[in-house]
Amino acid sequence: MVTINTASFSSIATLSVIQMRNVSASYDSKSFVLKNVSMNVKRGSNYAIVGASGSGKSTLLKLMNGMMIPSDGVVLYNYQKPDLKNKQYRKSISKIGYIPQTLGLVKNSSVLDNVMIGGLPRLNSINSFFKNFPKEELQHAHDVLKLVGLDEKSNRKVHMLSGGEKRRVAIARALMQKPDILLADEIVSELDAVTAREIMDVIRDAQKKFNLTAIMIHHDMNLALEYANRVAVIKEGDKVLEIGVEGDKIIDFQTGDMSQKEILEMYNES
Amino acid sequence: MNPKNNLLIGAVIAIVVVMSYDVGVDPIAFAEGLPNLGIVLKEMTEFESEHWGTAFWAMLETIEMAFIGTILGVVISLPLSIFAARNISSKYVYAPLRALLAATRTFPSILWAILFVIVVGLGPFAGILAITLYTIGFISKLQYESIEAIDYDPVEATTAIGLSKLQLIRYVIIPESAPHLLSQILYMFDYNVRQTSILGIVGAGGIGFYIINYIKFFEYGKAAVFMLVVLITVLIIDWVSVKIRDKYIMKAQHGQQVKVKTN
Ligand SMILES: Nc1ncnc2c1ncn2[C@@H]1O[C@H](COP(=O)(O)OP(=O)(O)OP(=O)(O)O)[C@@H](O)[C@H]1O
Ligand SMILES: [Mg+2]
Repeated sequence: MVTINTASFSSIATLSVIQMRNVSASYDSKSFVLKNVSMNVKRGSNYAIVGASGSGKSTLLKLMNGMMIPSDGVVLYNYQKPDLKNKQYRKSISKIGYIPQTLGLVKNSSVLDNVMIGGLPRLNSINSFFKNFPKEELQHAHDVLKLVGLDEKSNRKVHMLSGGEKRRVAIARALMQKPDILLADEIVSELDAVTAREIMDVIRDAQKKFNLTAIMIHHDMNLALEYANRVAVIKEGDKVLEIGVEGDKIIDFQTGDMSQKEILEMYNES
Repeated sequence: MNPKNNLLIGAVIAIVVVMSYDVGVDPIAFAEGLPNLGIVLKEMTEFESEHWGTAFWAMLETIEMAFIGTILGVVISLPLSIFAARNISSKYVYAPLRALLAATRTFPSILWAILFVIVVGLGPFAGILAITLYTIGFISKLQYESIEAIDYDPVEATTAIGLSKLQLIRYVIIPESAPHLLSQILYMFDYNVRQTSILGIVGAGGIGFYIINYIKFFEYGKAAVFMLVVLITVLIIDWVSVKIRDKYIMKAQHGQQVKVKTN
């Protein structure tokens, strides 16, 4: 396991949302993108993951939400093994709010339709087919749109939005999932510094409001340090700054543990 | 022009010459027969104007047939195209279905019309069935191709959210593949009007019945009236399609700011 500051397991709030044990991942069954990675994401934690391009950050998130099956080791979500073929499990992952690096919005649909997608796992086939949404679902959509600041543009087609607005839609869709954890893959990397902070503030508000555990991949270490209270660095190669089992590529530390300067030095070294 | 291109062009010309000889292309017969064309054309300009009314009603029937056939065909195509898309359906469903759809496209609708005349008898209904079948083959192909070409990112993202297959189709696949549908329907209707205009030749209804009969009995002046009505109709439909396309499709694809050129 990666974490050293093992908090007490006495209260339910400290229980793991996601556990990864000695997980390896490969796309071609020849070379590994991640090897022997362990991580324990406790409820209520606010993680940032950083690392060089191609180091396996996106892969790590896909392992967490079950989109990718590890070639070795186990991933547990709420102590369950992922299985997308299993209807019961599909219902349970519908509570993993996931924002992929490409956002994955339906560009020809309206903002509202995109947001409603997040709530579809709660609807039966007939109602969802005829877009017959219950009142409370529409209310919830309205609330999350308001929170991300897009309630005025809910009928706008997504392809007509700005980059920042598209990210707000993706956040709203994730919040519509009524998630207990939010996974976001470089959601602000392509934005200018001002917009990036606006978006991060939206997420921070949502985290507070919905009491969300969050794991966010960042390109910019400064943003990671500013918004997360734990940072994990994925390192390339064998050089392991190890906290955890042998072979770990992940360095995990609490943002308060080191000075900003030390962290940036260590990061730049890697 | 490099030597390689010259060689290729020379080869193509040689092949055309050899094949022409093989199938009996005869330029002399064409030259000798040209005066006949003059006679036909001259007779055609002698419109027999009491036929305009009949021609109009026959054209209306043709348009109705084409319209019904197009709409029926499109409605049936939509679910079929989803079953025929490789990125959604299982191999055991899409492979036979695609073969079947390919078969319906292999023969022109006039051959299907002959078949349906045998099945349901002479008249417009046989023609409608032929047009419907051909439309199914065509629109399904266009649609499953646009379904297969959709962006994979939203599919992945919504699968991770836990959508069922039906929800995925309804909220991602259809909205992402539908923008081309209107333009495909317009194209198909345009095409079907022209197809339906000749189905009368085999007794499957529409204006073609009159055209073929008058030509058979050398009444070119009467045939010309009907042909002219077809021509005008096709031009009008073409013009209306362009207007609809400009108004709805350009906007949908490029946002509101596109200016439609007005002249
Ligand atoms: N679908 C895929 N098929 C094959 N290889 C892949 C696939 N996705 C990622 N990879 C490879 O796996 C490695 C890790 O990719 P990943 O996307 O996890 O990196 P990342 O850390 O998110 O990078 P970035 O910061 O550029 O987004 C890369 O070498 C990449 O080429
Ligand atoms: Mg990535």
